[in-house]
Amino acid sequence: MVIDNILLAVAEIANVKTLALMMVGVAAGLISGAIPGFTIAMAVVLTLPFTFGMPPAQGLATMVSVLVGGLSGGLMSGILTGIPGTPSSVATTFDGFPLARSGEPGFALGLGVWSSFCGGIISAFMLVMFAPRLSRIGLEFQPWDYFMLVMFALTVTASLSGRNLIKGLIAGALGLLVRTVGEDEAIGMARFNFGNDTLLQGFDFIAVLIGLFAFSQLLSDVRDPEAARRSLAERERIQARIEHWRAIKAIVKRWTTVIRSALIGVFTGILPGAGGSIANILAYDQARKASKQPDSFGTGNPEGVIAPESSNNAVEGGALITMMALGIPGDVTTAIMLGALLIHDVVPSPSFISDEPVLAYSIFIAFFLANFIMLGMQSFMLRIFVLVTRIRMYMLAAVILGFSTIGVFAINNVEFDIWTLLWFGILGFFMRQFGFPLAPMILGVVLGNIAELNLSRAFAISDDVTLFFTRPWALFFLIVALFSAVFPLFQNARAEGKKWVRFYAPTLLAAIAVPLWMMGGTVRPGLSLICAGFAAYLIYKARQSVVEA
Amino acid sequence: MTRINRDAVIAIFLLLVCGVFFWASFDIRQPDYGTLKPSTWPRVILVVLALLSLIYLVQSLARGPEPAHEDISDRPHGLHGRLSHWRNVLWCFGLFVLYLSTMPILGMLIGGICFVFLLLCALGGWQPRQLALHAVIAGVAVGGMWSVFTYGLGVILPTGVIFSAF
Repeated sequence: MVIDNILLAVAEIANVKTLALMMVGVAAGLISGAIPGFTIAMAVVLTLPFTFGMPPAQGLATMVSVLVGGLSGGLMSGILTGIPGTPSSVATTFDGFPLARSGEPGFALGLGVWSSFCGGIISAFMLVMFAPRLSRIGLEFQPWDYFMLVMFALTVTASLSGRNLIKGLIAGALGLLVRTVGEDEAIGMARFNFGNDTLLQGFDFIAVLIGLFAFSQLLSDVRDPEAARRSLAERERIQARIEHWRAIKAIVKRWTTVIRSALIGVFTGILPGAGGSIANILAYDQARKASKQPDSFGTGNPEGVIAPESSNNAVEGGALITMMALGIPGDVTTAIMLGALLIHDVVPSPSFISDEPVLAYSIFIAFFLANFIMLGMQSFMLRIFVLVTRIRMYMLAAVILGFSTIGVFAINNVEFDIWTLLWFGILGFFMRQFGFPLAPMILGVVLGNIAELNLSRAFAISDDVTLFFTRPWALFFLIVALFSAVFPLFQNARAEGKKWVRFYAPTLLAAIAVPLWMMGGTVRPGLSLICAGFAAYLIYKARQSVVEA
Repeated sequence: MTRINRDAVIAIFLLLVCGVFFWASFDIRQPDYGTLKPSTWPRVILVVLALLSLIYLVQSLARGPEPAHEDISDRPHGLHGRLSHWRNVLWCFGLFVLYLSTMPILGMLIGGICFVFLLLCALGGWQPRQLALHAVIAGVAVGGMWSVFTYGLGVILPTGVIFSAF
């Protein structure tokens, strides 16, 4: 059965048209990832309108290619200009740029390209191995659990995506509110249309996403007139040739760094809200701690390029695991991918892999293939990148704004969607200016309907509200959501040296031991006992250190 | 000294939004069927949003007149200063509204080319050489994209009164 599905998926992907589209997708991703100010999410969301007319597997394969290309594109500008193309490649510049400056740009690029490839392939393996297993756990979820899972995803995204938790939570709640405008999904009653018939259809969420993310980003990019007229390569002439063999040898010698960093990337990707921007810094930090020459980091140490590039490419594998297994997007880009699935009438849920096995395996295969295409195209795209760096920012912004309107109109052939793009572009711009993170709002918009439908289903089954707190999985997600909400406070308190932070981790462990015990069976109560025992040990150690202090 | 800062103003605005939406939630019809009333979920969100906004307001008021982390020295002063600071953004908004308002007449092809051309000139400059370059970019980019969607993807884009006359 699995073999049949894989063969059918291969047939969906391995045709000339899809492969050509994937190559275009990787190229577009590489270029957009390489341009500072143009995020990967923006590239993916702008690709979405092109995929409407395609079959679901082809459309998703194209979007996956943009995603993989975008993750690798950031390294080009980071290494050659010292300006990271995306937040996921910030740490790459720490050693990549000094290495390029010291006369080895080809080696630095080679390290980046091959580390990205290795990270992507490792995460692709993890995706294939873990997504089906995790989805089996997901099948245990009832509406109460699923509702609490959405709440957990929103809370953790809010706590990780900004300096101010309250602003993150407000953004998430605003996203949920935006989704309630128009006819409700369950019984079709008009809500918040203020007498306007056009608003009955609600805001098209792709127009909302493009407005919030792409439109507002472009406005921010051209806000400063001088910066808008500048091009990336104004300061110096960019010239490099990727040194493949030397880079491969260096990476093979440092294989532990590659695997450790890729695992950090996958784990960070699985957590909703924690994306490549966190993973590359974490992996860099761990590589420095594990190195015998930590002082050489920042001066052009090859490991300083290998670690962040392996991890940021592995992130999307992790984010896709959560999306495909549980129907919850791991980050903004997978939230957009989830939107693409909805456009093709595929509802992401824990049963996605079993209900749509061919589509699921098509995504797995596309993710694998895209990494190989990325590897093959890097050398060629480097030349295009050099040309793109000569284009002024305002030109790119104006052309993309013009394109956005065509793309948004094409969704439903409704002019109102372009107005939606404008209003949410303005809203997104002001939210950026006032320090509100956009990721929780985007997740709120994407998950709003899912949350409401599950709430509705839960009350259709039983009007007992306590089930939201007493069912094992619902309780598990509630506990993790509460602890993630306190996480920013924990971080601040740890920086200030407060004593209570020593009890944060053991209390979390002790708390999650309760729902694990309630789940029954053999493995989970066993895990619960381990958690409880470890929590007791940590509390004992924490008490001892408090007494000594 | 006033204790109101920018965050406090945003928090008050959010509370007003919550109030308006909560009031509007009473206009939602409540049918006899269905287990979850159509107004329940929006009201839950609004209560949470109002509570969060209230906490945000208290936080903002407690912090004082200006956020400590912000450098206000480079903020624009006066109407002229503000206008020149936000010049490019205002151009984008203004031209976009103009583009959308004239779309029924100009259509997406002519309107799109005009919008991109004017925006390029507004952001990049109006010198003769730039005008020619901007015209080429606008024509090729919008024309190319319009062709991809019209002929490649089969999407019927708004033609406008002018275009449909031919």
